[in-house]
Amino acid sequence: MAEKPIQGEKRVFMTGNEVIAWATVAAQADVMYGYPITPQNEIMHYWTRLAPKYGKTFLQTEDELSAGFTTIGGVLAGRKCFTATAGPGNTLMQEPFSMAEMMRIPIVAIIQQRGGPSTATVIYSQQEVTLTTFGGNGEGHRIVYSPSNHQELFDYTIKSFNTAWKYRFPTFLLGDGYQAKMREPLVMYDPEERGIELIKPEVSLGNGMEKGHYNHLRNTFNTEEELYEIIMSMQEEYERIAPEIIEYQEYNCDDDLDVLIIAHGVVSRAAQEAVSKLRDEGYKVGHFRPITLRPFPEQELRATAQRAKKLLFVESAYGQMAKLVKEALFGLQLEAETLYRPGVGITSDEVIEKVKAISQQ
Amino acid sequence: MKRVIEAYIGEYASGKSEVAINRALQLKALGHEVTLVDLDTVEPFYTLRPLKKRLEDEQLRVIAWDPKEIMGFGETGVLMKPEMRWALQHQGDIILDIGYGVQGAKILDTLEGGVGNNEIRLYCVINIGRPMTSSVDDITEYVKNIGGVDGLINNSHLGEHTDIEFIQAGSDIIKEASSILNIPVIATTADEKFRPQLGTKDKNQFEVRYLQRWMPSALW
Repeated sequence: MAEKPIQGEKRVFMTGNEVIAWATVAAQADVMYGYPITPQNEIMHYWTRLAPKYGKTFLQTEDELSAGFTTIGGVLAGRKCFTATAGPGNTLMQEPFSMAEMMRIPIVAIIQQRGGPSTATVIYSQQEVTLTTFGGNGEGHRIVYSPSNHQELFDYTIKSFNTAWKYRFPTFLLGDGYQAKMREPLVMYDPEERGIELIKPEVSLGNGMEKGHYNHLRNTFNTEEELYEIIMSMQEEYERIAPEIIEYQEYNCDDDLDVLIIAHGVVSRAAQEAVSKLRDEGYKVGHFRPITLRPFPEQELRATAQRAKKLLFVESAYGQMAKLVKEALFGLQLEAETLYRPGVGITSDEVIEKVKAISQQ
Repeated sequence: MKRVIEAYIGEYASGKSEVAINRALQLKALGHEVTLVDLDTVEPFYTLRPLKKRLEDEQLRVIAWDPKEIMGFGETGVLMKPEMRWALQHQGDIILDIGYGVQGAKILDTLEGGVGNNEIRLYCVINIGRPMTSSVDDITEYVKNIGGVDGLINNSHLGEHTDIEFIQAGSDIIKEASSILNIPVIATTADEKFRPQLGTKDKNQFEVRYLQRWMPSALW
């Protein structure tokens, strides 16, 4: 059996789905459970090509409900497990994700967003933000990373496993159809060679547990008060760890701004290019990009937003990211405009046009 | 003169479509009648379909679905167009762009006149920047697996991070795989911008075919 999938640093040219498959192997994941759905299929294809070489396994289940629950089962048995899905598959997986949230089971799920509602198109969207951050009948005690390029797909897939196992909240890598299929160069590496310590999984139930040690894992509570106490302690824990998890990026936000563009994921690339072109033309424009959508960089955005005359929310959805933004900015007197294109890609030219239109008002 | 019939096959995202389009245009520039056929039914997310009109403007006969003729992409867009089956009946040169891997190669058997046709050259496009085909061992195993390959194309690149050294390293590795497989290297490909440095032949004396980039505008 081959020892390590990646030795040293390796320059490669890949599609996003392949990047994620390689990153899960590099993160020393043991099992993928999944059910096919576009646009995440090549994560499964490449995992199944790689897994046998490194003593790892794959189970294709009968549907997404099952894929989610078997992922939980694998984690309880002490393995590093993950799944990947999109669109209606993400809808179905909300039940297992909610259970993982309630029981503090560290699972990793890759979501490659596609257009909705329901089956809709298989191509691209940013319409699974609400579902991924706050899906399920709970309080959204989840961690959601929104990467924007292939290097980040690799880096944040590895990070997702460590975050999930460190904090024991379900952790999501929120990609999209474009990131899944695009081809880009990146550097792959073995995380341990770079000094990244990979957190080892532990057995929570069944064989392999320390003798005389028992776990009582519950997903059902008998009284309202009992549930209330659990939820409130989880909320407290979530708020305590949030500052350690929150990540964001700012582009040209140092001085006072006429327009602050807020965008995440692949759309951030259009925003970055727009900012750089607009700056060349003398516009005072900056871009704020939340990398973690849950927990959201509230304080950081509040500080920057107050230096801007106007905000511009840009996303391939009708205001799903903007809901998180507005929640973060609650109470501030700010003006905002929107460029919402649900299920449609956004180019830098469209962002530039919008910023110029705002600036002329 | 013997006509050219070439089928381009290879690993997922190895550059098959880009190489096939450029080869068709190269033959057209030599004054040949050229038919370009999109036979990628494996993963039609990223095929030359959206480029059909532009390529027809270059006087190629293009057999591909027009995106307007079909419903959906991905798993819903994998039908063969009837005229694809008869593609080999056209006169002149024929360039076939095939879906990835072993499953992709099987489509050749569905073409009328495809089975046992010794005019068809099956060329495997290889980029050593693709981690599944980055070493001599990986490449030989991959090419053996497909079976029936007549030639190898060195399409080693790293997108905008490509440099001459990487292209030449690809040439070395693929040359070594070629001698183990006893299958010739047909050409090295490189972005047009490398022409002044690279010239007409690479370090191993393989012909360099220069590429104009068409595929970036084909992502849906």
